[in-house]
Amino acid sequence: MIEVAVFCSMAAVALVSAVLVVTLRNTVHCALFLGLSLAGVAGVFGTLAADFLFVSQILIYVGGIAVLMIFAVMLMGRTSDLTLRQVNQEWLAGLLVCAITAAGLLRQAKGFLGKAADAPARALAAQAATKPLGRLMLGDFAVPFELISLVLMAALLGAIFFTRKEDEPKSTENGKPGRGGGT
Amino acid sequence: MSELYPKPVFSKKAGRLLKTRLWPTERWASPWSQPQYRRSAGMLAGIIFGILLVGVVVGELSKWGDLLYRLLLTGTAWLHQTLPAYGAPAGFLGDAADITWISFKVIVIVAVINLNGLWAVWWERKLSAHMQSRLGPMYAGGFHGWAQTALDAVKLLLKEDARPADADGAVHRLAPVVVIVPAVLAFAPVLFGKELAAAKLDVGALYVLAVSGVSVIGIVMAGWASNNKFSLLGGLRSAAQVVSYEIPRIFAVVPVLMFVGSLDLAVIDQAQQGYWWGFFPRWFVFWFPAGPLAFLLFLIASLAETNRVPFDIPEAESELVAGFMTEYSGMKWALFFLAEYAYVLLACFMLSVFFLGGGAAPLPFLAIVPSWIWMLAKALAMMFLFMWLRWTLPRFRVDQLMDFNWKFLLPWSFACVGLAGIMLLWI
Repeated sequence: MIEVAVFCSMAAVALVSAVLVVTLRNTVHCALFLGLSLAGVAGVFGTLAADFLFVSQILIYVGGIAVLMIFAVMLMGRTSDLTLRQVNQEWLAGLLVCAITAAGLLRQAKGFLGKAADAPARALAAQAATKPLGRLMLGDFAVPFELISLVLMAALLGAIFFTRKEDEPKSTENGKPGRGGGT
Repeated sequence: MSELYPKPVFSKKAGRLLKTRLWPTERWASPWSQPQYRRSAGMLAGIIFGILLVGVVVGELSKWGDLLYRLLLTGTAWLHQTLPAYGAPAGFLGDAADITWISFKVIVIVAVINLNGLWAVWWERKLSAHMQSRLGPMYAGGFHGWAQTALDAVKLLLKEDARPADADGAVHRLAPVVVIVPAVLAFAPVLFGKELAAAKLDVGALYVLAVSGVSVIGIVMAGWASNNKFSLLGGLRSAAQVVSYEIPRIFAVVPVLMFVGSLDLAVIDQAQQGYWWGFFPRWFVFWFPAGPLAFLLFLIASLAETNRVPFDIPEAESELVAGFMTEYSGMKWALFFLAEYAYVLLACFMLSVFFLGGGAAPLPFLAIVPSWIWMLAKALAMMFLFMWLRWTLPRFRVDQLMDFNWKFLLPWSFACVGLAGIMLLWI
């Protein structure tokens, strides 16, 4: 019963704050609600006994990505714009994409809807699951896992490449030998 | 004042100032600071006082925990049998018992955080005073100003809660809460002794590191909502610093996790029991070379994560007034400090669990001392190290800070993981 209550409240937090992210006009508030929404998703993972996912969601999304978003929004300076429209011409396409995604997810979840977890599944969820997860990642699913890391590596290199300054002349304003390229 | 400074007698025979009693630290002290060193009694008393204060709450009361829980369960079961007419669903009373029990644990954890804040502030004041040859608080309470922090807390409660007119009200009000809540949450799987934790988590080590990183959102909120350039700069510096230092901090734990093969703090603690050659403790800090290196990296990164000198540029008072805390007063301001000290305690417990053997005794025959005393003593020794560093080192510049992280700590933490892998080949 506690699990259901916590699950529902966490899901509500995630959904409500996700709606607030796109409807609020103050960009900093939007970024903060994004963090709350991601934390709500982490809470959903937690109530579903997916410990590792719960912790990685907090570590990467709440502690990393949300903080970077807030950082970027604050550096931008202008934090709110009361005149800008909240939607543009592409709202219909966006709605369609959402509908298709929701339909696909529902189709996937249909088999589990309205069913309480049976005893073996509960017992499986209660025991330590991190070690088997690690074994699967580097065993049966090693190729997709490494492919994802390759994609991340490419993204990382791309980010460094695009933020890198063009090679400057070797001397700085002081006339001293500078640091060379903006690496 | 003559009582505070008993006049030393100069003896021509001995060629130095003579005193009836000498503390061990006094022998190497300069003559100018000798009267202050005489107050070392206060320091020792403080350490013992702290161990008792925090330890009695956690260590001794927790022994009764299982008994209390069983009483709670039998009580609710009895209620359910005798009063079935109320028609409560079968699982309801069990859930109620669980909720009550979890609330108990939360209260204990919050008590630890509060007492730690109360005591660590006083300890830090006394320590800084002794390190800089002054007295620190001496009057409140009588004995070495022991009541100073408690009275400070009363003062902070009575203070006006000032808020800038142009501040973003909701965010400004919420910021201290967002800072303190992860601090309490992060204590859930922390081991206070052998098998002595509020929650047993399979991913405990990662959980602590992840949740303690969330507080930075509160700091950034405080910086932005104050509508003040100094505060905003403090918040931005803090965000950049915490996000960067989190990476080497987590990588420094990886060697330990590789040695143990588990993320569970109780298992990590258990793995360091036992002795080499019958007397040398098998703590991970002694697993040369990856162990000491990882310990150092984790210590440095923890200092940076807790925003303490030499990494306290988010609140550098010589540049930014008080950084993100500039526009806060009263209890909201105190909450930031409470969270800082909670994180220091958390980092110290993590250091002792990961590297210093947790509840293991340093020598076999000392194992009769309860494990929570060892755990707490190690954590407090680490806390002493934190304060020692704070009061002896100057602070970094912003660019030095980032260079230090990305060009020194991070490569060495990678090297540390590699070293641990090579070591695992031989073990």
